[in-house]
Amino acid sequence: MTFLLSLAWKNLSRYRKRTVITAAALAVGLGLYLFMDAWLMGAETESERNLVWYETSSARILHEDYWDERDRLPLKYCIEDPGAVMAKLGEERIPSAPRTVFSAELVLRKDPFPEDGSLPVRVVALDPELDDGVFRLGETVEEGRRLRPGEEGILIGQWLARDLGAEVGYSLTMITRTRRGYYQTIDAEIVGILNCPNPAVNKGTAFIPLDTADRYLDMEGAVTEINLKFPERRDPDALAAEVESGLVPDFPGLRVKSWRDLAQDYLAFASMKKSATNVILLLVFVIAAVGVSNTMLMAINERTRELGMMRALGMKDSRITLAFLLEAGGIGLIGSVLGVAFGTALSYWIVTRGVDISGLIGDMDIGYRVQGIFRGAWNPGAMVTAFFFGIVLTVFIGFLSTRRALKRSITECLYR
Amino acid sequence: MIRMDNVSRNYRNGDIVVRALREVSLAVEKGEFISIAGPSGSGKTTLLNLVGCIDRPDSGEIFIDGEPVSARTKKELALLRREKLGFVFQTFNLIPVLTALENVSFVLSLLSIRENEIRERSRAVLAEVGLSGKEDVLPGRLSGGQQQRVAVARALVKAPGIVLADEPTANLDSKTGEEILKLMEKLNRDHGTTFIFSTHDPMVMDYAHRLVSLHDGTIVSDERRAA
Repeated sequence: MTFLLSLAWKNLSRYRKRTVITAAALAVGLGLYLFMDAWLMGAETESERNLVWYETSSARILHEDYWDERDRLPLKYCIEDPGAVMAKLGEERIPSAPRTVFSAELVLRKDPFPEDGSLPVRVVALDPELDDGVFRLGETVEEGRRLRPGEEGILIGQWLARDLGAEVGYSLTMITRTRRGYYQTIDAEIVGILNCPNPAVNKGTAFIPLDTADRYLDMEGAVTEINLKFPERRDPDALAAEVESGLVPDFPGLRVKSWRDLAQDYLAFASMKKSATNVILLLVFVIAAVGVSNTMLMAINERTRELGMMRALGMKDSRITLAFLLEAGGIGLIGSVLGVAFGTALSYWIVTRGVDISGLIGDMDIGYRVQGIFRGAWNPGAMVTAFFFGIVLTVFIGFLSTRRALKRSITECLYR
Repeated sequence: MIRMDNVSRNYRNGDIVVRALREVSLAVEKGEFISIAGPSGSGKTTLLNLVGCIDRPDSGEIFIDGEPVSARTKKELALLRREKLGFVFQTFNLIPVLTALENVSFVLSLLSIRENEIRERSRAVLAEVGLSGKEDVLPGRLSGGQQQRVAVARALVKAPGIVLADEPTANLDSKTGEEILKLMEKLNRDHGTTFIFSTHDPMVMDYAHRLVSLHDGTIVSDERRAA
């Protein structure tokens, strides 16, 4: 074995150019894989975080009939006594924040707006004092100020403000229906403009104080949802089920949905995007594999006579295969180390600093819940996979090439 | 020691069947120094390949030390070659990344021999072929004659009963070729190793103690000469 290892090492160092070219082909493939994976991982991690921080919270308590009609944002299925539910949650030390979500038509009039018009919008009525315990929306106010309880003020996202030509201090009119189904008009002044990292929030959501909404919509203290904050790194589905089982005896008509349930559309999209990206990653690997197999095949072909001599001198085919596999594994090892280093170097900038993609995609919705600075994320699992994959790939190709060469007779090998 | 009984070997070249050896019978005793002579295509290399168990006959039988070899498996033949046969090739076939000493040691590393003994025996045989001081030199830095000496040392280091050399001087100038022949003759004399070498060079034939001439795959003469 020592002899075979020494032979493999000597061959690797003697055919340095070939070793470097093969290892480089592998390293480029693995490096690009890790770079793309870091992008994807970052997009997914950040999207999930932005979903929880700004859109869904960790989990949400809803009326049991609300879920089936959630797309219509109905006010008829409410939590009648949110205070009692939140008191129960407080006993379990689960931070919670009530919200009422409804749809409205924003009506704009020329002067101060650039032109007359209307726009459908999703309005979230939140409790300015409790909401920060679950969401991080308050931190994203870029212009103006946060909402105050009881005021007829409104916060809108930057993208929506740009679409409307709105500025802080402008007044908006919202036309909606009360809980009983009567038309209602709410006039509110824009008190702040958000620049939320979650584009879904920035694009089409307006925020007003919960008590103001309660007054205008005849909610009588009821809310459509109570949002919960779970500790990070805990399984949200398991915790949601736990909370639900704790609530149901006292509040039988309530259900708890985790953020995974609430973001089904996003998760389906992410999974689809991941599949498409995996195809691209596969192509990167195939290109690397073709490059590696080409040089390895040539290398073993060039040494067919040497292989014939070894067989003539009585070396077993299995030992010859092992000798070539050690060499192939050596190339794989070098390529994998370089590949992981290359991938790490490529990803370093996007992970530590991120790349501002706003200039590139502007207000375009790319599906992920990210905007502005796009950050990558380290994925140690992918690094380990890439490292071993590189070695396994070269050993496999080495095995195929050696087996092919060994299929020739000894005389064919010797007199080629 | 070696016996070939009516051995034939055909090759297919497209639709044409080339009859490389036709019912050849030959007996070689221990310690002989034999040249297989003949023009190109006469079957010299085929005969050596068959005796060296790196090829199989289509018909007939080959006996080595009284044992038939045709029924042996690939593994058994590899073992036979490893233990009993030494090879010297026309193109030397040294491993370019290994030094002269390592090329010789390589053969012993295939046998169950201790590392110290491998080095001692390899150094001794290199000294015997006149390559003392060249142990750590790579083949690429040796002359053709020196490379062939390494190849001869590699063939002899395991003290095989038979050394087969396919045109061992074909890639060497006449002076170097003669040196290699003298070396082989000396080793034959000193160790009693059987040497069978092929050639079409009359100078090489002159060194043989027995000259077997082939033509179109048939032995046309078999003459013994005074050593």
